[in-house]
Amino acid sequence: MLEILQNNWLLFLVGQYPHGPIGGLVMTLFMASISLALCFPFAIGLALARLSPYRWLRLPATAIVHTVRGLPLVMFIFWAYFVSPLIIGRAVGGVETLVIALVVYEAAYLSEIIRAGIEGLPRGQTEAATSLGLRYWPTTIKVVLPQALHNMLPSMVSQFVSTIKETSLGYVISAHELTFAAAQVNNVLLTQPFEVYGILALTYFALCFALTSLARLIERRISAGRGGTPGITIAA
Amino acid sequence: MGYVFDLGSVLSGKYLDWFLIGIATTLALTAVAWCLAMAMGIVLTLVRMIPFPPLGWFVALYVEYHRNVPLLVQIFLWYFGVPSLLPRPARQWINAHHGEFLLAAIALGLAAAAYVAEDIRSGIRSIPKAQYEAARSIGFGYLGAMGYVVLPQALRISVPPLINQTLLLFKNTSLAMAIGVGELTYRTREVDSYTFKTFEAFAVATAVYLVISFGIMALGSWSGTRLKLETR
Amino acid sequence: MIRFENVDKWFGPLQVLADVSGEVRRGEVKVLVGPSGSGKSTLIRAVTRLEKIQGGRVLIDGADIAGRGLDINRLRQRVGFVFQAYNLFPHLTALGNITLGLTKLRGLSKAAARERAMAELARVGLAEKANEMPGLLSGGQKQRVAIARSLAMDPEVMLFDEPTSALDPEMVGEVLAAMKRLAAGGMTMICVTHEIGFAREVADEIWFMEAGRVVERGRPAELADSDACPRLAGFLRRSVRN
Repeated sequence: MLEILQNNWLLFLVGQYPHGPIGGLVMTLFMASISLALCFPFAIGLALARLSPYRWLRLPATAIVHTVRGLPLVMFIFWAYFVSPLIIGRAVGGVETLVIALVVYEAAYLSEIIRAGIEGLPRGQTEAATSLGLRYWPTTIKVVLPQALHNMLPSMVSQFVSTIKETSLGYVISAHELTFAAAQVNNVLLTQPFEVYGILALTYFALCFALTSLARLIERRISAGRGGTPGITIAA
Repeated sequence: MGYVFDLGSVLSGKYLDWFLIGIATTLALTAVAWCLAMAMGIVLTLVRMIPFPPLGWFVALYVEYHRNVPLLVQIFLWYFGVPSLLPRPARQWINAHHGEFLLAAIALGLAAAAYVAEDIRSGIRSIPKAQYEAARSIGFGYLGAMGYVVLPQALRISVPPLINQTLLLFKNTSLAMAIGVGELTYRTREVDSYTFKTFEAFAVATAVYLVISFGIMALGSWSGTRLKLETR
Repeated sequence: MIRFENVDKWFGPLQVLADVSGEVRRGEVKVLVGPSGSGKSTLIRAVTRLEKIQGGRVLIDGADIAGRGLDINRLRQRVGFVFQAYNLFPHLTALGNITLGLTKLRGLSKAAARERAMAELARVGLAEKANEMPGLLSGGQKQRVAIARSLAMDPEVMLFDEPTSALDPEMVGEVLAAMKRLAAGGMTMICVTHEIGFAREVADEIWFMEAGRVVERGRPAELADSDACPRLAGFLRRSVRN
């Protein structure tokens, strides 16, 4: 296995670059990061919509979130695959398609985390703000959101880990990420699939386990900072 | 664009059959993997209870592996990797007996088992120690206290998360298409490639997934309220 | 019947029981009082090995509870324990809570167990709540069911760990009444409680604990004379004032 890694580490890391588009682990991390970053505003919007007292906001948002939860990611990827070119007006590459699918998918899941974070705050926070004279929007932006987001930091790191794992589905549409790179290596070597995919599994494991451990560390720090008030344990 | 949405052509004749086979395969894959997941999850929970630290480490490693490696990669490892380690007769047997379905089911089931084990463990942990003490105080041994007092309560709490795991398992069957299992997503692509009615084909698949998913979600929330013990 | 011999216990660096000795004879009612953290709950929990002691011995009918070959489960059937938090099993009805031990441990038939359980419930005045789930009972009712649950096992001694401390004041009376009836019937009891009136009425002896030691012992009658047990009398006076 070590030999395969030695001979192919560059492929795993950056795909076919410089003889082709960037891929591999670098692309995996890039896609995960950018998807999560881009979906953030949508996630916050969905969360606030679901919490708002206005039905015309709440019901569609709830419908969207439930629908996303009800479909496999693969379906989103395929939908993105043939709808994106029609909307954008040109051919869309594998990486772009995957990012679009992930932004939609992650927005729904992230919105649930943010919603839980906001609901988890003691009611006293909003009451204190309103009694100081702040109205709904300033209260939300300045008092509620920062605290909710801080509390939900471990969950968001967990969500980042999930997104990294989800990028592996790029394989299905030939997006140049880590799993696709491994498949390419396997197609060349042919006789050592266990070793190749073993390296793939170990790479993801190392990356995701490190991040998950980070999430748990952050969670412990937050609990300690709150003086032992039991919070919602998300990064289990 | 001049595109006519033509659902009928996609749901007729052999294409309808393909969809139905796809749905049946998806459900079959879900069922087999689910049984494996529950069985393995219970085994892992029991093993964890044995006061022998190396066993605890093993279970922890099992859980961490299945939670940190993408499911698609796990499927590849089982489908491409494992047979290459087996002797030739075993490989031939696998190939002759729906190998891809079996190996996908194994991969999906063992992965879900990690989460099942964690859900059961959380359920058990959420039962206050005082319940166990009260059972022991009446005179029950460890097994009696666990079996009559702690576990009945823990399993009640675990049912909604376990139903959620079932939902995830159902959705994850779609990954099996990557190794050629003829489940719903795979069949949908087949219909698409024959009829070129991409929208219609995927609309049908989307509808099917949503109906079943919402059904499972409804079961989850119903069980959540039904199993909740009333308090004043 | 129960004897403490130089019992010591530490929670880490903190000594919660220090050289505690004493005896509770059959038919006696001992009440343990003292400030929070004095070790009274720990002592009573040590009797059934809910807490493990590190020094000294606890003997029940002459047998060391930490001895090899002692069947702790058998022992616990002979000793009833009532918790401050009731600890009823929420997934079983009131009746179910009582019949569980009878059917699974005593091997009674369902019918016999049900009959016995109903009798115990009637004794604490809750026969009509037999099929109620614990979640819907009041605190006082829950505690009475807990007492019935312990009594159904025919214990030789009953231990009460602050049985009324978690109750609203108006429900304390009904639980104390049940306990008084038990005492009048000759049950051997050890009670940890803050209910001084109860102690005066029912106890054969009151042990005053402070920082893990039994500092004073006195019969209720002696307490009228504060010279005999000054610290205990002082504590009682302070408690009543509150």
